[in-house]
Amino acid sequence: MSEEKVIRVDPVTRLEGHGSLTIKLGKDGKVKDVQFNVNSTRFFEKFLEGRPMEEAPRIAPRICGICPIPHHLASIKAVEAAWDVTPPPAAIKLRRLMIEAKQYSSHAIHFYALAAPDFVYGPFANPADRNVAAVLRDLPDVAVQAIKMMEFGQELIRVIGAKAVHPTTGIPGGMLTSLKEEDRDFFIGRLEEIQQLTLNTVDLAKKVVTDYLDVITKVAVVPTYYIGLSNEGVLDIYDGTVRVQEPDGKIVADFEPKDYTKYYGEHVAKHSYATHMYYKPAGYPEGVWRANTLARCNVNEKMATPLADAALTEMRELVGRPSHHTFAYHYARIVELVQAFEWCATLLKDPDICSTDVKLSDVEPKAGDGVGIVEAPRGILLHNYISDDKGMLTKANLVVATNNNIAGIEKSLMVAAKQIFEDKAHESLTLPEPMVKR
Amino acid sequence: MADPVPVAMGQGSSCWGCFQSLVDIHLRLAEVLPAIEIKYWQAVADFKLHHLESYEDKSIVVGFFEGMARTEEDIHLLKLMREKCQILIAFGSCSCFGGIPGLANFSDIEECYDVKFRNNKTVEGGEVPSENLPGIASVVKPNSDFVDIDIYLPGCPPTPDLIYTAVSALLSGQPIDLPPHTVCHYCDREKKDTPIEEVLRPYQGIADPDRCLLEQGYICVGSSTWGLCEGQCVNMGSTCRGCFGPPPPITQDHGAASISMLGSYAPMEPEKIVEEVKDPLGTFWRFDYPTSHLGRMRIKREEAKEK
Repeated sequence: MSEEKVIRVDPVTRLEGHGSLTIKLGKDGKVKDVQFNVNSTRFFEKFLEGRPMEEAPRIAPRICGICPIPHHLASIKAVEAAWDVTPPPAAIKLRRLMIEAKQYSSHAIHFYALAAPDFVYGPFANPADRNVAAVLRDLPDVAVQAIKMMEFGQELIRVIGAKAVHPTTGIPGGMLTSLKEEDRDFFIGRLEEIQQLTLNTVDLAKKVVTDYLDVITKVAVVPTYYIGLSNEGVLDIYDGTVRVQEPDGKIVADFEPKDYTKYYGEHVAKHSYATHMYYKPAGYPEGVWRANTLARCNVNEKMATPLADAALTEMRELVGRPSHHTFAYHYARIVELVQAFEWCATLLKDPDICSTDVKLSDVEPKAGDGVGIVEAPRGILLHNYISDDKGMLTKANLVVATNNNIAGIEKSLMVAAKQIFEDKAHESLTLPEPMVKR
Repeated sequence: MADPVPVAMGQGSSCWGCFQSLVDIHLRLAEVLPAIEIKYWQAVADFKLHHLESYEDKSIVVGFFEGMARTEEDIHLLKLMREKCQILIAFGSCSCFGGIPGLANFSDIEECYDVKFRNNKTVEGGEVPSENLPGIASVVKPNSDFVDIDIYLPGCPPTPDLIYTAVSALLSGQPIDLPPHTVCHYCDREKKDTPIEEVLRPYQGIADPDRCLLEQGYICVGSSTWGLCEGQCVNMGSTCRGCFGPPPPITQDHGAASISMLGSYAPMEPEKIVEEVKDPLGTFWRFDYPTSHLGRMRIKREEAKEK
């Protein structure tokens, strides 16, 4: 190659946000630069200012239509932390049921609609065939299974949150409504089939992992830091402390959400509207961390539920801990899918889940600074609000799931680009026959 | 079966929630997906922008555009969708009215950049990113300022049933027939036409589950909001914040109608009502500030600056 070359991928597809990719190749054919350009931003931090703080949980979910429940809940937790409010235990159970249901449907849509087409048709298939509509045409049983799983999660959210997308029932001090017994009974009646579909998905994921083991263990294997919520070493998406893990596996921080500014570094890259997060004590870019499924599985010792823990053990036999295999994110997603299902089942059968004692009546606003953290499907999510004595929001800082992954994505893209353009490593990969040939 | 109908899905600056709501038609997807031919849908299929640009004008029958268009890239995509699609649908409240991201028009863009890149708890002294990125306009303008819209399908998001109704009609070439009622029409709560003595914030007290929330003092804009939601929030304890915008004709000023509604329910001293309604702009124009009368003045001010 004798000319410098710029390759643009615009837009990056099967992504719910806005991104493009810029790869610069030098005259010698070497990869000079890889940019992941996130090319839109909407300024939520600014327009949350001046709102009554209890309205933030009704505004902030619009950051993400796939993960509005984590935003609703991180936002409520931030308000409650600032006003020093503790909601009734039954309200916390409902919130947890809602976020586990979201984790379940989001992981199902991600695995089946965003990821699976690559594995079903193979990475070199015609783009027109590499999508979920084609999966529905060629493998209708698999597609119907996926739809039923998504439906279970989304409809369960709706009976708690009033809306599956952008729920409205969470309020500082609890929930505005309780779960109806008839709704609970309906979903309990669905558990048997949904458990079977979940376990079918685990089998399918294991087949994909086995078929594509060469890709998983060789392409874009990138050591980084990891960040995730932890309940004393157990993977938890609603509550806990924040753990940070070094690339070599050591847990270097385990802190309360309110102390996050000591550990969170935010770098403004010149080529992305989404900022790059990193472990502040290690500096940028050395401290770049990744969040999301694999990060949560890396920072925690074990899962909270038995079937999921068995799945994690099997995963670790293959990829170890910590795993730096970017493609193992898919596997970890399925391990978490199992945990989300088991949590839903446990909570639906909880004797207090239909309790009507779900809201305090004496919440008072006050001046304060509150941090709320939960896990969104794509990674740890932080809302930090400052309130004046009337309960008006005066300042907001948001570190959303994707922020925690942008720098890590760019890092793994750099590794993958070198493998492809410099080493031609993709030509020697062992790939299976596609499940469906067109 | 009839030939699949060519369809394109475009996304401006938005959250993907309207498309999630489309996915939430669940098993009806098995009927809808085979009836369409996806020509562009960045989150679902691997067609790139150059594919969309290469299609013949008006070769796509239906286009859905989610989100508002604030970046140069959004505006390019919106115009491209208009060129390529016979019917262009403003899909969701951001696309119809500017939506929640339209609240950014309360501030100057430099103030927005300050909290995002220059000075916040985890960020210090950053420069506004610009390399290989589309520029961001100084204000959010309604999509209808850039292109002609054929059909408005509001909601944050539109409900799966509404989307299914609209898509079924479009695929069979029928007009979309939508009921004009407000949210109150679908609300199970009893109204006694009693005046409000005090405005309550939604966390205060425990609301009577059977009485109109507004008559209990909780601000609810259901009576000025298009009820295509079928009352999903008000029937589960939460006040309406107006996410479907005004009922037909949807060009009317939703916020002004909401304030007038509150005025008729709350015969209070003006000073008291101003004190108790903490955030009129962010409450009554939450989803449609850019298309409102006040919002239009804000946009004009920005346009004057640019000249």
